[in-house]
Amino acid sequence: MKNLILLSLLFNFSICFSQSEQLIPQNAITVFSINNLNLLQKISMDDLVKYDFMEEVHQELFDGSTSGKTLKDAGIDFNQRLNVFYGKTDDYEVSGFTFGVNNSSLLFEVFDDFTELKSNYKDVKEYGSFFNNLILKNNSALLIRIEPTAESIDRKTDSIWYSRGNEYPYGGMYEEEILFDEGFDEGDFDFEQNEAEAEVEEEEEEEEEELNEDPPFYFDSTEISIEDFPEASEDLNEKNYYELRDSVQLELQQYLLTQLLNDLFINNLTLLSIDPRFSEQLTHQCAGTFYLDNSRSFQQANGLWYFQTIMPSLYNDIKELYTGNVILGDLILNDKSLEFLVEARYGEKLGSIYQEMNDSKFDKNITKYIHKNSPAYFTYNVNLRKAYDKAYEVIMPIISAEKNADIAMNVLALELMNELINKDALFDTYKGSMFGTFNGIKKIKTKKIDYKYDDITFEYNETEVDAIEDMPIFSLGFSIDRHDIPEIILKNFSRLTSKFEKHDNYWVFNNAILDAAPLYMINKNNLFILTNDEDLAINHSDGYGSDQLGRKVRKEIKRNGFMNGYLDISGTLNRFPSDLLSERRSELINSLKGKSGKMYLKSAKTTTKITKFEMSYKFNGEENSGKHLLDVINTLYIFSK
Amino acid sequence: MNRVFYLFILIVFFLSSCIELIDDLTIHNDGSGTFKYIMNLSSSKIKVNSILALDSIDGKKVPSMAEIKTKLMSFAANLKTQPGISNVSMQINDFDLIVNFSCDFKTIGEFQSGFKSAITLINKDEKIEALNESWVSWDGRVLKRNIPILSLQILEGFKEGELDLLKTGSYTSINRFDRPIEKAEKLETKLNPAKTASMLRVNTFELQKNHLLIENTIYLTPIKIK
Repeated sequence: MKNLILLSLLFNFSICFSQSEQLIPQNAITVFSINNLNLLQKISMDDLVKYDFMEEVHQELFDGSTSGKTLKDAGIDFNQRLNVFYGKTDDYEVSGFTFGVNNSSLLFEVFDDFTELKSNYKDVKEYGSFFNNLILKNNSALLIRIEPTAESIDRKTDSIWYSRGNEYPYGGMYEEEILFDEGFDEGDFDFEQNEAEAEVEEEEEEEEEELNEDPPFYFDSTEISIEDFPEASEDLNEKNYYELRDSVQLELQQYLLTQLLNDLFINNLTLLSIDPRFSEQLTHQCAGTFYLDNSRSFQQANGLWYFQTIMPSLYNDIKELYTGNVILGDLILNDKSLEFLVEARYGEKLGSIYQEMNDSKFDKNITKYIHKNSPAYFTYNVNLRKAYDKAYEVIMPIISAEKNADIAMNVLALELMNELINKDALFDTYKGSMFGTFNGIKKIKTKKIDYKYDDITFEYNETEVDAIEDMPIFSLGFSIDRHDIPEIILKNFSRLTSKFEKHDNYWVFNNAILDAAPLYMINKNNLFILTNDEDLAINHSDGYGSDQLGRKVRKEIKRNGFMNGYLDISGTLNRFPSDLLSERRSELINSLKGKSGKMYLKSAKTTTKITKFEMSYKFNGEENSGKHLLDVINTLYIFSK
Repeated sequence: MNRVFYLFILIVFFLSSCIELIDDLTIHNDGSGTFKYIMNLSSSKIKVNSILALDSIDGKKVPSMAEIKTKLMSFAANLKTQPGISNVSMQINDFDLIVNFSCDFKTIGEFQSGFKSAITLINKDEKIEALNESWVSWDGRVLKRNIPILSLQILEGFKEGELDLLKTGSYTSINRFDRPIEKAEKLETKLNPAKTASMLRVNTFELQKNHLLIENTIYLTPIKIK
């Protein structure tokens, strides 16, 4: 009994003092909740605000007020969680974090740009700065930034602008282009008009041509001149379009914040209260938790507006497929490692497709082509044929029910293809299982032009000579049962161009990569492999033999679910030329650069409701665990944005 | 400065691990001559093509090969219209990444002002202060030359690590005359056996740090009056 009382006291203690999560808005789609805040005590505020997950809220923290301070000096209560969140609806984006406060004086030494605002809520104090708001309730704080979307601001501004009897705010300078863009046909022009009208039109056209020297719909925003903006009204009390837009933005921001605070403090609608999966996740004993509501991020995905407006019932059906689709994760911090346990949960219909797809026997040929010293590799083992059949069974009834001419034609095309296409040949050629490896940066042979000088005249001649350039070495292989089909394609390509050459064990496509490096294709052993690794193609076309992945690792890969991955950070990311990637991928790679350690990823068996993933990060070096935790959270944040 | 031009320079100077630049200036006794310029990026094809495949670097749009070609051809077309400039040729080998430019000029003065005008024209008449610098002069016996300060000013403000990539590049400056060279100010200058041509070669990384490395004054023997 004593123990029970003690337990219940401890539980109540934890409830009373762990309130920061109760301030997470219901519209948060992604949440990182850091539990073991003691780890972060030594992290300096300056380091903390440099993380990407702080980017939306950190403006005023960069004004020197954080200089030399740690989280401990900022009045933050380490008995509460630190929750970083992000959410998006059709009308706004919301981001911020919630945390505990044990000394508000110290807190306002860091957040020194905030001024107190009038609060309409009991026991709640509101503070505002130019971009953000800080809300204090008891011993918890919410730092929040809410931004209406540009589309939402434009929509409302236009509505007010035109309802006031204003005309097109850009002075009609683009009218001609709009006319032609909308299908204006010169043949429709009335040539019966009198000469006087024609002259006037010609003059107007000349004037418009002068105005339209640069195509207006392709201008670069950085090159907008002051003439492009609507002129200020003669009446100083009347706002021009952009002044009105600014006011609308400010009002919307205030309105949305009020709605959000009403939900939090009057209606008691928080993420914790509306989503039991999230509240259950917070009970886990771990350093941090991760929550991503995929069903809501699907609804907010760009590009679905067409579906929503033109085919609402189909959109609802597809949305139903995604119902319950959520990713939940626990971060477990050990002495020299971090473990990230993830559960991808989904609805039964979508789950049935995943289950069929992942019900595949591992292709043991794959591991033969992964070198035991490979700094990074992944294997992906799926049965595309089964997934296709199941998806056909689940999705076809949904789209067939849609009464829409376009959809009906698509359904007809799909059904005909299903009957006429040789699915055995198709799915024996592309079975779905694949692997990829990164074998580091190697010197590869290319050709260059050299200028040779004559010592007598200093004249020079161009000569083609061998050159060596650094290149990341990749291999990508696919399981295949029909080797004859790639052979047909390659044989015919080689007739078209001499760049394709057949060798005993491989094909080579010269200068295929960036006009400089060859691409090798190995089509044997039930695999079709694309690689720029000359050594693999020439010397190891049957695999690495005794240099392939060790037996223990191979066994584990076979035993695991559909996905396995390995990454030696120092051997891969620190050497990876991230400049050559797209901005988003480069950002992801850079967030991990400078680290040392190894990452492993594996999945467990897929059921109709859940697939479990496990990622572990074993790190070396002197950096404290808290720093590693934040680094991983930062990477996950970038990944999930 | 025009962004396409800027990014082109950025690609050429910073992100190529090996670049070979050759300028070859011939001056006849009457002051007329020929200028040839070769930019050879063939040993960095992978790197340059990787960059050209991107949309942007550091938030700046990366120009396509077609845009770069258009810009260079537009420069050549502008130069053709300048007084005292003739036989302008711009050959772009986009497979090996070699730009081969040449033109004839009547006088060094017209050559320099023609260059300045053509660059100003492709930059939509934007004033570029660095173009006011004189980088070549000739008085009939003494040739003073450097490289346009503009190409070096662009290098300012870039990180040390990015400039390290220039370490394996070379800049070769060749000057040819109708009569023998008496002396060259830079001791490293090589003269051909007939002493009618000089060659000075420097490392592009060193040149970026000290543009005086390529500055040279060449004194010719007086014209023999028969």
